Amino acid sequence: MRRTPVYIICSPRPLVGKTLIARLLCEFLLLQRGGVVGFDVNLKEPSLLDFLPRVTETADVDNTFGKMQLMDRLILNDDIAKVIDLGFHAFDEFFTMVGEIGFFKEAARRGVAPVVLFVADSDRASARAYAMLQSSVPARAFITIDNEYVLRGELPDALSRGRLLNIAALPVFLKTYIDRVSFSFTDYLRHEKDTSTELHQWIRDNYFSFRELELGLLLQG
Amino acid sequence: MAKPAVIVVGADKGGVGKTTVSRTVLDYFNANNVPTRAFDTESPRGTLKRFHPDITEIVDMTATADQMRIFDTLNNDVPSVTVIDVRAGLLSPALASLRDIGFLDAAKSGQITFAVFHILGPSIASLDEIAETANFMQGAKYFLVKNFINNTSFFEWDQSTYNSYFHRIKDATEITIPKLNEMAFEQVEVASVPFLKFVANKGTKDENANYSFVLRGYVRHWLANVWSEFDRIKLTDIVGKEKDKDKEKDKTGGEKAAARPGGEK
Repeated sequence: MRRTPVYIICSPRPLVGKTLIARLLCEFLLLQRGGVVGFDVNLKEPSLLDFLPRVTETADVDNTFGKMQLMDRLILNDDIAKVIDLGFHAFDEFFTMVGEIGFFKEAARRGVAPVVLFVADSDRASARAYAMLQSSVPARAFITIDNEYVLRGELPDALSRGRLLNIAALPVFLKTYIDRVSFSFTDYLRHEKDTSTELHQWIRDNYFSFRELELGLLLQG
Repeated sequence: MAKPAVIVVGADKGGVGKTTVSRTVLDYFNANNVPTRAFDTESPRGTLKRFHPDITEIVDMTATADQMRIFDTLNNDVPSVTVIDVRAGLLSPALASLRDIGFLDAAKSGQITFAVFHILGPSIASLDEIAETANFMQGAKYFLVKNFINNTSFFEWDQSTYNSYFHRIKDATEITIPKLNEMAFEQVEVASVPFLKFVANKGTKDENANYSFVLRGYVRHWLANVWSEFDRIKLTDIVGKEKDKDKEKDKTGGEKAAARPGGEK
Protein backbone atom coordinates (compact mmCIF):
# COMPACT_ATOMS: atom_id res chain seq x y z
CA MET A 1 0.00 0.00 0.00
CA ARG A 2 1.39 3.37 -0.96
CA ARG A 3 2.00 5.91 1.75
CA THR A 4 -0.63 8.52 2.54
CA PRO A 5 0.71 12.04 2.14
CA VAL A 6 -0.14 14.75 4.64
CA TYR A 7 0.90 18.21 3.46
CA ILE A 8 1.17 20.84 6.17
CA ILE A 9 1.31 24.33 4.69
CA CYS A 10 2.47 26.74 7.31
CA SER A 11 4.11 30.00 8.27
CA PRO A 12 4.15 32.06 11.45
CA ARG A 13 3.25 35.06 9.27
CA PRO A 14 -0.12 36.07 7.83
CA LEU A 15 -0.71 36.78 4.13
CA VAL A 16 2.27 34.93 2.70
CA GLY A 17 0.22 32.77 0.34
CA LYS A 18 -0.53 29.69 2.44
CA THR A 19 -4.12 29.39 1.28
CA LEU A 20 -3.14 29.93 -2.35
CA ILE A 21 -0.66 27.07 -2.13
CA ALA A 22 -3.18 24.91 -0.28
CA ARG A 23 -5.74 25.54 -3.04
CA LEU A 24 -3.27 24.70 -5.76
CA LEU A 25 -2.14 21.55 -4.01
CA CYS A 26 -5.69 20.40 -3.26
CA GLU A 27 -6.72 20.85 -6.87
CA PHE A 28 -3.60 19.07 -8.07
CA LEU A 29 -4.20 16.12 -5.71
CA LEU A 30 -7.84 15.95 -6.81
CA LEU A 31 -6.64 15.70 -10.37
CA GLN A 32 -3.78 13.32 -9.64
CA ARG A 33 -5.29 10.98 -7.03
CA GLY A 34 -9.01 11.55 -7.50
CA GLY A 35 -9.49 12.70 -3.93
CA VAL A 36 -8.15 14.92 -1.20
CA VAL A 37 -9.27 16.23 2.17
CA GLY A 38 -8.35 19.77 3.11
CA PHE A 39 -8.24 20.89 6.72
CA ASP A 40 -8.71 24.57 7.34
CA VAL A 41 -6.98 25.67 10.53
CA ASN A 42 -7.01 29.16 9.22
CA LEU A 43 -10.26 30.84 10.06
CA LYS A 44 -8.72 34.24 10.80
CA GLU A 45 -7.32 34.70 7.29
CA PRO A 46 -8.60 34.11 3.75
CA SER A 47 -9.44 30.50 4.08
CA LEU A 48 -9.34 27.26 2.10
CA LEU A 49 -12.93 26.55 3.10
CA ASP A 50 -14.12 29.53 1.05
CA PHE A 51 -12.45 28.24 -2.10
CA LEU A 52 -12.90 24.48 -1.89
CA PRO A 53 -15.88 23.87 0.42
CA ARG A 54 -16.61 20.40 -0.96
CA VAL A 55 -13.26 18.92 0.03
CA THR A 56 -12.44 21.06 3.05
CA GLU A 57 -13.20 20.58 6.71
CA THR A 58 -12.57 23.05 9.48
CA ALA A 59 -10.27 22.10 12.31
CA ASP A 60 -8.84 23.79 15.32
CA VAL A 61 -5.95 23.16 17.63
CA ASP A 62 -6.97 25.49 20.45
CA ASN A 63 -8.25 22.63 22.60
CA THR A 64 -7.53 18.95 23.10
CA PHE A 65 -10.77 17.80 21.52
CA GLY A 66 -10.00 19.75 18.34
CA LYS A 67 -6.49 18.33 18.27
CA MET A 68 -7.86 14.80 18.59
CA GLN A 69 -10.36 15.35 15.79
CA LEU A 70 -7.61 16.60 13.50
CA MET A 71 -4.62 14.44 14.38
CA ASP A 72 -6.51 11.16 14.70
CA ARG A 73 -7.52 11.67 11.06
CA LEU A 74 -4.07 12.69 9.90
CA ILE A 75 -2.43 9.60 11.33
CA LEU A 76 -4.66 7.24 9.32
CA ASN A 77 -3.02 5.46 6.40
CA ASP A 78 -6.17 5.47 4.26
CA ASP A 79 -4.59 6.50 0.94
CA ILE A 80 -6.49 9.79 0.96
CA ALA A 81 -4.12 12.73 0.63
CA LYS A 82 -4.57 15.47 3.21
CA VAL A 83 -3.72 19.14 3.00
CA ILE A 84 -3.62 21.36 6.07
CA ASP A 85 -3.89 25.08 5.65
CA LEU A 86 -2.37 26.07 8.96
CA GLY A 87 -3.06 29.65 10.00
CA PHE A 88 -0.26 31.72 11.48
CA HIS A 89 -2.07 31.99 14.80
CA ALA A 90 -2.06 28.18 15.18
CA PHE A 91 1.56 27.66 14.13
CA ASP A 92 3.17 27.41 17.58
CA GLU A 93 0.39 25.39 19.17
CA PHE A 94 0.29 22.93 16.27
CA PHE A 95 4.00 22.19 16.17
CA THR A 96 4.32 22.04 19.96
CA MET A 97 1.58 19.43 19.96
CA VAL A 98 3.12 17.57 17.01
CA GLY A 99 6.40 17.36 18.91
CA GLU A 100 4.77 16.23 22.14
CA ILE A 101 2.73 13.45 20.62
CA GLY A 102 5.58 12.19 18.42
CA PHE A 103 3.61 12.65 15.20
CA PHE A 104 6.47 12.21 12.74
CA LYS A 105 7.73 8.95 14.22
CA GLU A 106 4.26 7.48 14.54
CA ALA A 107 3.45 8.59 10.98
CA ALA A 108 6.55 6.83 9.64
CA ARG A 109 5.55 3.67 11.50
CA ARG A 110 2.03 3.73 10.08
CA GLY A 111 2.93 4.49 6.48
CA VAL A 112 1.83 8.11 6.57
CA ALA A 113 4.14 10.64 4.94
CA PRO A 114 3.89 14.13 6.43
CA VAL A 115 5.46 16.93 4.40
CA VAL A 116 5.89 20.36 5.93
CA LEU A 117 5.70 23.12 3.33
CA PHE A 118 7.06 26.18 5.08
CA VAL A 119 6.19 29.43 3.32
CA ALA A 120 9.20 31.66 3.86
CA ASP A 121 9.22 35.33 4.69
CA SER A 122 12.10 37.65 5.48
CA ASP A 123 11.17 38.60 9.05
CA ARG A 124 12.59 37.32 12.34
CA ALA A 125 9.53 35.24 13.24
CA SER A 126 10.01 33.25 10.06
CA ALA A 127 13.72 32.74 10.77
CA ARG A 128 12.94 31.45 14.28
CA ALA A 129 10.17 29.20 12.99
CA TYR A 130 12.45 27.85 10.27
CA ALA A 131 15.14 26.97 12.81
CA MET A 132 12.57 25.27 15.02
CA LEU A 133 11.21 23.20 12.14
CA GLN A 134 14.68 22.26 10.93
CA SER A 135 15.45 20.79 14.31
CA SER A 136 12.14 18.97 14.76
CA VAL A 137 11.06 17.84 11.29
CA PRO A 138 12.95 15.13 9.39
CA ALA A 139 14.94 16.78 6.58
CA ARG A 140 13.24 14.83 3.79
CA ALA A 141 9.83 15.97 5.06
CA PHE A 142 10.70 19.65 5.22
CA ILE A 143 10.41 21.91 2.20
CA THR A 144 10.75 25.65 2.11
CA ILE A 145 8.48 27.50 -0.28
CA ASP A 146 9.92 30.53 -1.96
CA ASN A 147 6.83 32.48 -2.94
CA GLU A 148 8.23 35.17 -5.21
CA TYR A 149 5.10 37.24 -4.76
CA VAL A 150 6.10 37.65 -1.09
CA LEU A 151 9.90 37.58 -1.20
CA ARG A 152 10.45 39.16 -4.61
CA GLY A 153 13.25 36.69 -5.37
CA GLU A 154 15.24 37.42 -2.23
CA LEU A 155 14.99 34.29 -0.13
CA PRO A 156 17.16 34.88 2.97
CA ASP A 157 20.27 32.67 3.01
CA ALA A 158 19.33 31.31 6.42
CA LEU A 159 16.16 29.82 4.96
CA SER A 160 17.67 28.24 1.89
CA ARG A 161 19.64 25.36 3.37
CA GLY A 162 17.20 22.50 2.69
CA ARG A 163 14.81 21.52 -0.11
CA LEU A 164 13.19 24.40 -1.92
CA LEU A 165 10.05 24.78 -3.96
CA ASN A 166 9.61 27.92 -5.99
CA ILE A 167 6.27 29.60 -6.68
CA ALA A 168 6.66 32.25 -9.35
CA ALA A 169 5.03 35.64 -8.91
CA LEU A 170 1.99 36.45 -11.00
CA PRO A 171 1.16 39.93 -12.26
CA VAL A 172 -1.29 41.72 -10.00
CA PHE A 173 -4.20 41.49 -12.47
CA LEU A 174 -3.78 37.70 -12.68
CA LYS A 175 -3.41 37.45 -8.92
CA THR A 176 -6.72 39.27 -8.58
CA TYR A 177 -8.22 36.89 -11.13
CA ILE A 178 -7.17 33.70 -9.31
CA ASP A 179 -8.20 35.14 -5.95
CA ARG A 180 -11.85 34.97 -6.97
CA VAL A 181 -13.63 32.38 -4.85
CA SER A 182 -15.13 30.72 -7.92
CA PHE A 183 -11.80 30.29 -9.70
CA SER A 184 -10.50 26.76 -10.24
CA PHE A 185 -6.97 26.08 -11.47
CA THR A 186 -7.83 22.72 -12.98
CA ASP A 187 -10.95 24.10 -14.70
CA TYR A 188 -8.79 26.82 -16.17
CA LEU A 189 -6.33 24.26 -17.56
CA ARG A 190 -9.18 22.26 -19.03
CA HIS A 191 -11.11 25.09 -20.59
CA GLU A 192 -8.54 27.66 -21.62
CA LYS A 193 -7.72 26.94 -25.26
CA ASP A 194 -4.61 29.10 -25.35
CA THR A 195 -1.94 27.08 -23.52
CA SER A 196 0.63 29.82 -23.94
CA THR A 197 -0.94 32.21 -21.46
CA GLU A 198 1.11 33.20 -18.44
CA LEU A 199 -1.48 31.77 -16.05
CA HIS A 200 -1.64 28.48 -17.93
CA GLN A 201 2.13 28.21 -17.73
CA TRP A 202 2.15 29.18 -14.06
CA ILE A 203 -0.40 26.51 -13.08
CA ARG A 204 1.39 23.83 -15.11
CA ASP A 205 4.73 24.73 -13.52
CA ASN A 206 3.28 24.43 -10.05
CA TYR A 207 1.49 21.18 -10.83
CA PHE A 208 4.79 19.87 -12.17
CA SER A 209 6.51 20.79 -8.88
CA PHE A 210 3.80 19.01 -6.93
CA ARG A 211 4.09 15.96 -9.17
CA GLU A 212 7.82 15.89 -8.34
CA LEU A 213 6.92 16.01 -4.67
CA GLU A 214 4.52 13.09 -5.03
CA LEU A 215 7.11 11.11 -6.99
CA GLY A 216 9.63 11.80 -4.25
CA LEU A 217 7.23 10.32 -1.71
CA LEU A 218 6.75 7.23 -3.86
CA LEU A 219 10.50 6.74 -4.12
CA GLN A 220 10.97 7.23 -0.37
CA GLY A 221 8.30 4.60 0.28
CA MET B 1 20.43 -11.05 47.68
CA ALA B 2 19.30 -7.43 47.47
CA LYS B 3 17.79 -6.10 50.65
CA PRO B 4 14.07 -5.44 50.56
CA ALA B 5 12.92 -1.99 49.57
CA VAL B 6 9.75 -0.24 50.62
CA ILE B 7 8.48 2.87 48.92
CA VAL B 8 5.66 4.72 50.61
CA VAL B 9 3.73 7.14 48.43
CA GLY B 10 1.45 9.38 50.39
CA ALA B 11 0.22 12.70 51.68
CA ASP B 12 -2.14 13.79 54.38
CA LYS B 13 -3.98 16.10 52.04
CA GLY B 14 -6.38 14.52 49.56
CA GLY B 15 -6.53 15.03 45.81
CA VAL B 16 -2.84 15.72 45.29
CA GLY B 17 -2.19 12.76 43.01
CA LYS B 18 -0.85 10.02 45.28
CA THR B 19 -2.26 7.17 43.25
CA THR B 20 -1.19 8.79 39.99
CA VAL B 21 2.41 8.94 41.20
CA SER B 22 2.19 5.37 42.52
CA ARG B 23 1.08 4.26 39.08
CA THR B 24 4.03 5.97 37.41
CA VAL B 25 6.39 4.31 39.88
CA LEU B 26 4.91 0.87 39.17
CA ASP B 27 5.14 1.47 35.43
CA TYR B 28 8.73 2.60 35.83
CA PHE B 29 9.73 -0.53 37.71
CA ASN B 30 7.83 -2.67 35.21
CA ALA B 31 9.74 -1.04 32.33
CA ASN B 32 13.00 -1.66 34.17
CA ASN B 33 12.17 -5.28 35.00
CA VAL B 34 12.18 -4.69 38.73
CA PRO B 35 9.83 -7.18 40.41
CA THR B 36 7.35 -5.18 42.40
CA ARG B 37 4.29 -5.67 44.55
CA ALA B 38 1.91 -2.95 45.63
CA PHE B 39 -0.44 -2.29 48.48
CA ASP B 40 -3.42 -0.02 48.14
CA THR B 41 -4.67 1.42 51.40
CA GLU B 42 -7.91 2.77 49.96
CA SER B 43 -9.70 0.06 51.87
CA PRO B 44 -12.14 -1.44 51.08
CA ARG B 45 -12.23 -0.22 47.46
CA GLY B 46 -8.81 0.42 45.98
CA THR B 47 -7.99 2.84 43.20
CA LEU B 48 -4.48 1.59 42.53
CA LYS B 49 -5.76 -1.96 42.29
CA ARG B 50 -8.05 -0.95 39.44
CA PHE B 51 -5.00 -0.06 37.32
CA HIS B 52 -2.57 -2.73 38.51
CA PRO B 53 -4.82 -5.59 39.68
CA ASP B 54 -2.23 -8.34 39.22
CA ILE B 55 0.31 -6.98 41.66
CA THR B 56 -1.85 -4.97 44.06
CA GLU B 57 -3.50 -5.97 47.32
CA ILE B 58 -5.92 -3.79 49.23
CA VAL B 59 -4.99 -3.41 52.87
CA ASP B 60 -6.11 -1.46 55.89
CA MET B 61 -2.90 -0.01 57.26
CA THR B 62 -4.43 0.68 60.62
CA ALA B 63 -5.14 -3.02 61.16
CA THR B 64 -2.38 -5.10 62.70
CA ALA B 65 -3.17 -8.09 60.53
CA ASP B 66 -2.64 -6.07 57.37
CA GLN B 67 0.52 -4.50 58.73
CA MET B 68 1.79 -8.04 59.16
CA ARG B 69 0.80 -8.88 55.59
CA ILE B 70 2.97 -6.07 54.35
CA PHE B 71 5.98 -6.03 56.61
CA ASP B 72 6.32 -9.63 57.76
CA THR B 73 6.68 -10.72 54.14
CA LEU B 74 9.47 -8.31 53.22
CA ASN B 75 12.18 -10.92 53.50
CA ASN B 76 10.58 -13.26 51.00
CA ASP B 77 12.80 -13.68 47.93
CA VAL B 78 10.73 -11.93 45.24
CA PRO B 79 9.54 -9.34 44.64
CA SER B 80 12.05 -7.16 46.39
CA VAL B 81 10.31 -3.83 46.00
CA THR B 82 7.10 -2.98 47.81
CA VAL B 83 5.15 0.13 46.88
CA ILE B 84 2.52 1.31 49.34
CA ASP B 85 -0.03 3.86 48.18
CA VAL B 86 -1.13 5.48 51.42
CA ARG B 87 -4.51 7.11 51.30
CA ALA B 88 -5.19 10.72 52.29
CA GLY B 89 -4.86 11.51 55.96
CA LEU B 90 -2.97 8.35 56.72
CA LEU B 91 0.63 9.27 55.97
CA SER B 92 1.57 10.57 59.41
CA PRO B 93 -0.27 7.79 61.29
CA ALA B 94 1.31 5.21 58.95
CA LEU B 95 4.80 6.55 59.58
CA ALA B 96 4.10 6.57 63.31
CA SER B 97 3.05 2.91 63.06
CA LEU B 98 6.23 2.07 61.18
CA ARG B 99 8.24 3.72 63.92
CA ASP B 100 6.33 1.82 66.60
CA ILE B 101 6.93 -1.58 65.01
CA GLY B 102 10.66 -0.87 64.65
CA PHE B 103 10.57 -0.58 60.87
CA LEU B 104 12.18 2.85 60.83
CA ASP B 105 15.00 1.62 63.04
CA ALA B 106 15.58 -1.27 60.64
CA ALA B 107 15.79 1.22 57.80
CA LYS B 108 18.17 3.39 59.78
CA SER B 109 20.47 0.44 60.43
CA GLY B 110 20.48 -0.41 56.72
CA GLN B 111 18.58 -3.69 56.84
CA ILE B 112 15.82 -2.31 54.65
CA THR B 113 15.75 0.35 51.99
CA PHE B 114 13.00 2.80 52.79
CA ALA B 115 11.88 5.72 50.66
CA VAL B 116 8.98 8.11 51.07
CA PHE B 117 7.44 9.95 48.17
CA HIS B 118 5.61 12.78 49.86
CA ILE B 119 3.16 14.12 47.30
CA LEU B 120 2.62 17.85 47.52
CA GLY B 121 -0.09 19.86 45.93
CA PRO B 122 0.32 23.57 45.26
CA SER B 123 -1.30 24.71 48.50
CA ILE B 124 -0.05 25.85 51.90
CA ALA B 125 -2.08 23.11 53.57
CA SER B 126 -0.14 20.55 51.60
CA LEU B 127 3.25 22.14 52.20
CA ASP B 128 2.58 22.39 55.94
CA GLU B 129 2.78 18.59 56.08
CA ILE B 130 6.48 18.61 55.26
CA ALA B 131 7.73 19.50 58.74
CA GLU B 132 5.62 16.84 60.40
CA THR B 133 6.58 14.11 57.97
CA ALA B 134 10.27 15.03 58.11
CA ASN B 135 10.36 13.97 61.79
CA PHE B 136 10.14 10.35 60.68
CA MET B 137 12.72 10.49 57.96
CA GLN B 138 15.95 9.46 59.67
CA GLY B 139 17.21 6.49 57.71
CA ALA B 140 14.78 7.05 54.87
CA LYS B 141 15.16 8.60 51.45
CA TYR B 142 12.75 11.50 51.55
CA PHE B 143 11.38 12.84 48.29
CA LEU B 144 9.26 15.95 48.08
CA VAL B 145 7.15 15.35 45.00
CA LYS B 146 5.81 18.56 43.51
CA ASN B 147 2.80 17.37 41.59
CA PHE B 148 1.51 19.97 39.14
CA ILE B 149 -2.11 18.88 39.18
CA ASN B 150 -3.21 22.24 37.77
CA ASN B 151 -1.64 25.34 36.30
CA THR B 152 -0.64 26.95 39.58
CA SER B 153 2.89 27.10 40.99
CA PHE B 154 4.53 26.05 44.24
CA PHE B 155 5.09 29.65 45.34
CA GLU B 156 8.32 29.94 43.35
CA TRP B 157 7.29 33.54 42.78
CA ASP B 158 7.67 34.15 46.54
CA GLN B 159 11.17 32.91 47.35
CA SER B 160 10.87 33.32 51.12
CA THR B 161 7.73 31.20 51.24
CA TYR B 162 9.22 28.67 48.84
CA ASN B 163 12.48 28.38 50.80
CA SER B 164 10.66 28.07 54.09
CA TYR B 165 9.14 24.83 52.85
CA PHE B 166 11.54 23.32 50.37
CA HIS B 167 14.93 24.28 51.75
CA ARG B 168 14.22 23.63 55.40
CA ILE B 169 14.60 19.86 55.22
CA LYS B 170 18.27 19.24 54.52
CA ASP B 171 18.22 15.74 53.09
CA ALA B 172 15.02 15.92 51.10
CA THR B 173 15.17 15.62 47.32
CA GLU B 174 12.64 17.38 45.11
CA ILE B 175 10.88 15.63 42.25
CA THR B 176 8.71 17.46 39.77
CA ILE B 177 5.70 15.77 38.20
CA PRO B 178 4.44 17.87 35.30
CA LYS B 179 0.78 18.35 34.55
CA LEU B 180 -0.85 15.79 32.30
CA ASN B 181 -3.40 16.97 29.77
CA GLU B 182 -6.83 16.65 31.40
CA MET B 183 -8.47 14.72 28.59
CA ALA B 184 -5.57 12.32 28.40
CA PHE B 185 -5.79 11.75 32.15
CA GLU B 186 -9.53 11.14 31.94
CA GLN B 187 -9.13 8.73 29.04
CA VAL B 188 -6.64 6.62 31.01
CA GLU B 189 -9.06 6.69 33.95
CA VAL B 190 -11.83 5.40 31.73
CA ALA B 191 -9.57 2.76 30.23
CA SER B 192 -8.47 1.59 33.72
CA VAL B 193 -5.10 0.43 32.44
CA PRO B 194 -1.53 1.29 33.45
CA PHE B 195 -0.09 4.31 31.64
CA LEU B 196 2.30 2.01 29.85
CA LYS B 197 -0.50 -0.07 28.37
CA PHE B 198 -2.36 3.06 27.35
CA VAL B 199 0.68 4.31 25.46
CA ALA B 200 0.98 0.91 23.78
CA ASN B 201 -2.73 1.06 22.82
CA LYS B 202 -3.60 -2.04 24.84
CA GLY B 203 -6.66 -2.86 26.91
CA THR B 204 -6.88 -4.47 30.33
CA LYS B 205 -6.29 -7.97 28.93
CA ASP B 206 -3.59 -6.88 26.48
CA GLU B 207 -6.10 -6.79 23.64
CA ASN B 208 -5.68 -4.10 20.99
CA ALA B 209 -7.48 -0.90 21.94
CA ASN B 210 -8.43 2.19 20.02
CA TYR B 211 -7.29 5.11 22.13
CA SER B 212 -6.77 8.50 20.54
CA PHE B 213 -3.32 8.89 19.02
CA VAL B 214 -3.18 12.44 20.36
CA LEU B 215 -4.02 11.41 23.92
CA ARG B 216 -1.58 8.52 23.80
CA GLY B 217 1.05 10.95 22.60
CA TYR B 218 0.37 13.29 25.51
CA VAL B 219 0.59 10.43 28.00
CA ARG B 220 3.81 9.15 26.43
CA HIS B 221 5.38 12.60 26.54
CA TRP B 222 4.28 13.16 30.13
CA LEU B 223 5.37 9.71 31.30
CA ALA B 224 8.76 10.21 29.69
CA ASN B 225 9.17 13.43 31.67
CA VAL B 226 8.14 11.73 34.91
CA TRP B 227 10.50 8.84 34.30
CA SER B 228 13.36 11.20 33.54
CA GLU B 229 12.85 12.52 37.07
CA PHE B 230 13.03 8.96 38.40
CA ASP B 231 16.17 8.45 36.34
CA ARG B 232 17.61 11.63 37.80
CA ILE B 233 17.16 10.41 41.37
CA LYS B 234 18.45 6.94 40.32
CA LEU B 235 15.36 5.20 41.60
CA THR B 236 16.43 1.77 40.41
CA ASP B 237 19.77 2.16 42.19
CA ILE B 238 17.96 3.18 45.36
CA VAL B 239 16.00 -0.06 45.39
CA GLY B 240 19.15 -2.02 44.65
CA LYS B 241 18.59 -2.81 40.97
CA GLU B 242 20.72 -1.96 37.99
CA LYS B 243 18.88 -0.50 35.03
CA ASP B 244 18.81 -3.05 32.23
CA LYS B 245 18.45 -1.15 29.02
CA ASP B 246 18.46 -4.23 26.79
CA LYS B 247 15.70 -5.89 28.71
CA GLU B 248 13.73 -2.69 28.49
CA LYS B 249 13.14 -3.47 24.81
CA ASP B 250 11.93 -6.90 25.71
CA LYS B 251 9.28 -9.30 24.63
CA THR B 252 6.61 -6.63 24.41
CA GLY B 253 8.25 -5.45 21.21
CA GLY B 254 9.54 -2.24 22.67
CA GLU B 255 6.28 -1.21 24.31
CA LYS B 256 8.03 -0.59 27.56
CA ALA B 257 10.51 1.61 25.80
CA ALA B 258 7.77 3.48 24.04
CA ALA B 259 7.38 5.99 26.81
CA ARG B 260 11.06 6.75 26.95
CA PRO B 261 12.16 10.16 25.65
CA GLY B 262 12.79 9.69 21.95
CA GLY B 263 11.55 6.16 22.19
CA GLU B 264 8.23 6.51 20.47
CA LYS B 265 7.00 3.44 18.74
